[in-house]
Amino acid sequence: MTGPTNEQLANLLSRCALADQKAFAALYEASSAKLFAVAVRITRRRDWAEEVLQESFVKIWHHAGNYDTDKSAPMTWMTAIVRNRALDWLRRPREVQTSDDVEALLASVADEGPGPEELAALAAQAGQLRECMKQLGPDQQRSITLAFFHGLSHGELAEKMGRPLGTVKTWVRRGLDRLKQCIEGMQAK
Amino acid sequence: MKYDNPTIRDRLAAEYVLGTMPWRARRRFEAQLKTSPALRVAVSEWEALLTPMASNLPALTPPRRVWQGIQKRIHGGATATAATSWWYSLGFWRSATGFALAALLALGVVMTIPGDPPTAEETMMVVVMDDMQTNLPAMTVSWEPGQSDSKVLRLRVIGHAEMAPDTAWELWMLPGKDRAPVSLGLITTHELQTLPVPAQLVPTIDDAWGLGMTVEPAGGSPSGSPTNQMLYMGQCVKT
Repeated sequence: MTGPTNEQLANLLSRCALADQKAFAALYEASSAKLFAVAVRITRRRDWAEEVLQESFVKIWHHAGNYDTDKSAPMTWMTAIVRNRALDWLRRPREVQTSDDVEALLASVADEGPGPEELAALAAQAGQLRECMKQLGPDQQRSITLAFFHGLSHGELAEKMGRPLGTVKTWVRRGLDRLKQCIEGMQAK
Repeated sequence: MKYDNPTIRDRLAAEYVLGTMPWRARRRFEAQLKTSPALRVAVSEWEALLTPMASNLPALTPPRRVWQGIQKRIHGGATATAATSWWYSLGFWRSATGFALAALLALGVVMTIPGDPPTAEETMMVVVMDDMQTNLPAMTVSWEPGQSDSKVLRLRVIGHAEMAPDTAWELWMLPGKDRAPVSLGLITTHELQTLPVPAQLVPTIDDAWGLGMTVEPAGGSPSGSPTNQMLYMGQCVKT
């Protein structure tokens, strides 16, 4: 068991949709630590991650009625909201973005692809995704992991990995294609 | 229109979910998302495929101010924890003399405030307890795990439960299969409360399978074992 059950979280979400604030507080308690970890990974700054988490929970509160149990698991739905807010935050145009900012950002990402915690997270995946990630080439795997966990754009990936933009784009695209084919193949079995 | 091509649609959805799109492309994509159900389906599929990668990241408890900020944004200033806000107010701490603080500590006043999410940025134990009759979440309990001389449980009663006259709610540690529940003490129906863990259970509560609550005669179970079936029950989870 990796957390409160999907049924419990889905129920809390449905009560949030009815403006039940106690359910919202319980939902926060049950899920915020997982979601904060995601926000910190992507934004790489605690203060930004806190802002992202706040915005995300406000969105979860106002849009809880849109959550559909048939379409996704509650944590998937909430994680997607947090990742989207974090990515928007990271990509938002800022008045001044010096090359120092970009360099500091890239330097803050571990040099050799996924760090131990990310590897552990990947290794702990249930079955399909882990198996399929393993089937990717090392560059495909690394570029997808860097983009997913650290929110790097194509340009940042190219800089980080020291390869031309076109090469990196191809790694990501082919990696995603293979990942999808692999998972669909497993689900078809 | 490039979004009409299923292959391109799928590829763009994948890049959007993975997060490699720059700002403008994201904005354009999101504008399309509003009008294209097919695109939304593609995004949902990629979210379902990729998001589980994040599910096993080590949890990180956000600082309390995050919850306060959320409350402020939702309720426009009035926070749900207003009753305890004096505790955090700078003024209070500025006016509290060292002596007063020492006195509070000497009296063993529990320094944990109910109602706020955990303060420490570390892993937490969380139990979401379901009402066994309705199968709906009815209470949450959380505490900081680890080696410590004392532990305090933070309780949040979710439902609008009422306690029948001459009864008491007793919280139990459920150590695991084939092992008898051990009493943690009596609790109230208040939404927010704290409960110090009995000293002899401090070393073992992190390893408990779960927690349960029973309705007992006033004063608690006379025998030290539950006299009723668990009304609320949930499994301990380390987040």
